[in-house]
Amino acid sequence: MKRKLWMKIFTILMAMSLLLGLGAGSARYAQAAEVSSDIVVESADGSASGSEDEFRVGMEAGYPPFNWTQTDDSNGAVRIDGNKEYAGGYDVQIAKKVAEGLGKKLVIVKTEWDGLVPALVSGKIDAIIAGMSPTAERKETIDFSDIYYKSDLIIVVKKGEAYEDATSIADFKGAKITAQLNTFHYGVIDQIEGVIRQTAMDNFTAMRVALEAGMIDGYVSEKPEGVSASMANSNFAMVEFDKGKGFATAEEDTAISVGIAKDSELTGQINEILSGISEEERTELMDEAILEQPASGGNKTSFQWFIDIMKENGPMFLRGAGMTLLISLTGTILGFLIGLLVGVIKTIPMPLKGAGRTAQKIINGLLSVYVEFFRGTPMIVQAMVIYYGSALAFDIHMNRLAAAIFIVSINTGAYMSEIIRGGIVSIDKGQFEAAQAVGMNHVQTMTNVVLPQVIRNILPATGNEFVINIKDTSVLNVIAVTELFFQTKSVAGNNFRYFESFFVACILYFIMTFTVTRILRHIEKRLDGPANYNMITNQAPDEDTDSTAGQA
Amino acid sequence: MEKVIEIQHLSKSFGTHEVLKDIDFTVNKGEVVCIIGSSGSGKSTLLRCINLLERPSGGMIIYNGENILDEKHDIHQYRTKLGMVFQQFNLFNNHNVLNNCIVGQVKVLGRSKEDAKKVAMKYLKNVGMEKYVNAKPSQLSGGQKQRVAIARALSMEPDVLLFDEPTSALDPEMVGEVLKVMKDLAHTGLTMLVVTHEMAFAKEVSDRVVFMDKGVIAEEGTPELIFNNPTQDRTREFLKRTL
Ligand SMILES: Nc1ncnc2c1ncn2[C@@H]1O[C@H](COP(=O)(O)OP(=O)(O)OP(=O)(O)O)[C@@H](O)[C@H]1O
Ligand SMILES: [Mg+2]
Repeated sequence: MKRKLWMKIFTILMAMSLLLGLGAGSARYAQAAEVSSDIVVESADGSASGSEDEFRVGMEAGYPPFNWTQTDDSNGAVRIDGNKEYAGGYDVQIAKKVAEGLGKKLVIVKTEWDGLVPALVSGKIDAIIAGMSPTAERKETIDFSDIYYKSDLIIVVKKGEAYEDATSIADFKGAKITAQLNTFHYGVIDQIEGVIRQTAMDNFTAMRVALEAGMIDGYVSEKPEGVSASMANSNFAMVEFDKGKGFATAEEDTAISVGIAKDSELTGQINEILSGISEEERTELMDEAILEQPASGGNKTSFQWFIDIMKENGPMFLRGAGMTLLISLTGTILGFLIGLLVGVIKTIPMPLKGAGRTAQKIINGLLSVYVEFFRGTPMIVQAMVIYYGSALAFDIHMNRLAAAIFIVSINTGAYMSEIIRGGIVSIDKGQFEAAQAVGMNHVQTMTNVVLPQVIRNILPATGNEFVINIKDTSVLNVIAVTELFFQTKSVAGNNFRYFESFFVACILYFIMTFTVTRILRHIEKRLDGPANYNMITNQAPDEDTDSTAGQA
Repeated sequence: MEKVIEIQHLSKSFGTHEVLKDIDFTVNKGEVVCIIGSSGSGKSTLLRCINLLERPSGGMIIYNGENILDEKHDIHQYRTKLGMVFQQFNLFNNHNVLNNCIVGQVKVLGRSKEDAKKVAMKYLKNVGMEKYVNAKPSQLSGGQKQRVAIARALSMEPDVLLFDEPTSALDPEMVGEVLKVMKDLAHTGLTMLVVTHEMAFAKEVSDRVVFMDKGVIAEEGTPELIFNNPTQDRTREFLKRTL
């Protein structure tokens, strides 16, 4: 009974994080091409930011059996660039062969799915080897090698239910079937006669949850996903179809190729290397990958999973949480300083006339544009624009962490400047006048009298901003910053235990925000000083009636 | 007599509202001058123009032989020579009593912390607040706040102390303690310019009384003259209403 309640809570939390979080991150197929075609202003020449003898390959490292993240180098896994984890899987094995053929050192760059094409176009990576299909849409932006894997469409169903025994797509008459949004998987559903087509879902995670919860009878996907889903979750089974009984598909849809920058000389070289890998060898590599991919857990309960996930991935979660804290703390502090500067400049009294007045008006105008712009656009969009845009337009390759801190800082700065401006305006005019009357100039008035009061007053708002930042850094997963949300996605992408993995993240986020709130409350109290003051009593007390007045 | 501040043809308008009209007025060293007049006559505005909290619309303010309304004049430097005591006290809320009296000395006059503390303690003792050095303004009564405000102004060791109705915001039982401090100061030879509604104080303490009406100085003279033999009808009417 109790466990059922837990499951319900898990489901609700999971559904919430799916709706709010995952949806934002990983529409697998068509979107990446769209995003990148917007950003491509002047295409980079395809040279990577790394050195000449490196072959930099982008992948999610979270899409088994093609690619996944693991904690050691077993089964030929390769260390992920700038990270303590390793990438394994079919794609990694292919990438190794390609790198070997090119005579270069393989570097695996773990990149969010939506960031792969922009990363390639901006020259941050040399190739995408990430289970990516060479669709016509993507071909507008990047080139593709020859096919290095071809898969069949299958339907993932629940074990022990009627559809498990289906042999033909015709057997799915009356079944509630869905597939991933913006993929050809969804388009083929209509080939099943009498099917009840469900709304397309954003990602595999959502579909697995829906299947497990009985909201759908099955979902269409490619074979590798079917194999890994049924291996990872013992409640799932995969229905394969014999020739002629399955879906009719186009070759470009089921094929998987290496993505390469437009007109790169790499394309020819890679094709040559791929042609040297035989069909049998490919099947063998895929079978190995399916076997080696992060193991399924049999019939463990959610609670056992929860414990195991924390045990096995503890360091990964903690690194993610550490990164989240680092980014949000530095971002909040820098943002606070930016806000302070902007707020103070905006409240400098206007000179009545002269050039100073014009200059100040221009500066105030620019600052208003800054504030309005960054308050008025989503941070996730700013992250994409700043990180990839700086690479494309100015050839600046920002370090991911620096970019993350930069984005959070200017974002927080925009909010804080308004909070601080409001705080300054709300300080009694008498405080300014008294400071001026003792001869202080504007800066002295601000630093000695006004700002200390403003800062005390806006401390709760600052704490709020910090808490918001801890949560909102999760959107930075789009530029592949390894913060907590990104790490959790990797963990969940490997073990397929989405409830449990994200529940761990949920708890970690809460611990962080709760601790921060407590600490700030403590600081507020410290700043306020003691509620009573001590009378200086080293002199004989006089008869004055008010010598005790203040001690109430 | 040595002039501390000399005002010539001072005028001040807020928009089209002319609040001060062609004021000529001098404060001499060691003098206690009280400014009286009905509400809205421009007393506060005059005082605020003198220390440039309001920018005069016209005229001159001559201090040390220089017109401080000249663009190039350093008004911050000038303001340190004028202490100001406000009706609403305006103690720095983020500082305790001692720091209220120190911060200006250290940050503006560049005194060392120790020197500033010595000076502050001396004046806090003068106003009877030396035992409250650790208190925050919010922990003090109105009379105590005003005494600290006086000590803060004195700590800058100004040439003139300006008071704008220093007792008007006080509960009646606290008026006395502040007036007593002011009387003591007057007797030390400090130059003081006091806007007040306390006629008894003006009568007793001041060397000269200025009566303002509708933005002009209607009459000025010794307390005996103003209070006992005013020459102007409007002075007489005002005194009849207030006394
Ligand atoms: N910042 C301002 N803007 C517009 N008008 C103002 C401003 N400050 C003062 N005034 C006007 O100037 C006139 C004189 O005001 P002031 O405060 O100098 O009078 P006062 O003699 O000090 O009166 P009270 O005894 O009530 O303090 C009033 O009519 C007032 O409304
Ligand atoms: Mg007034």
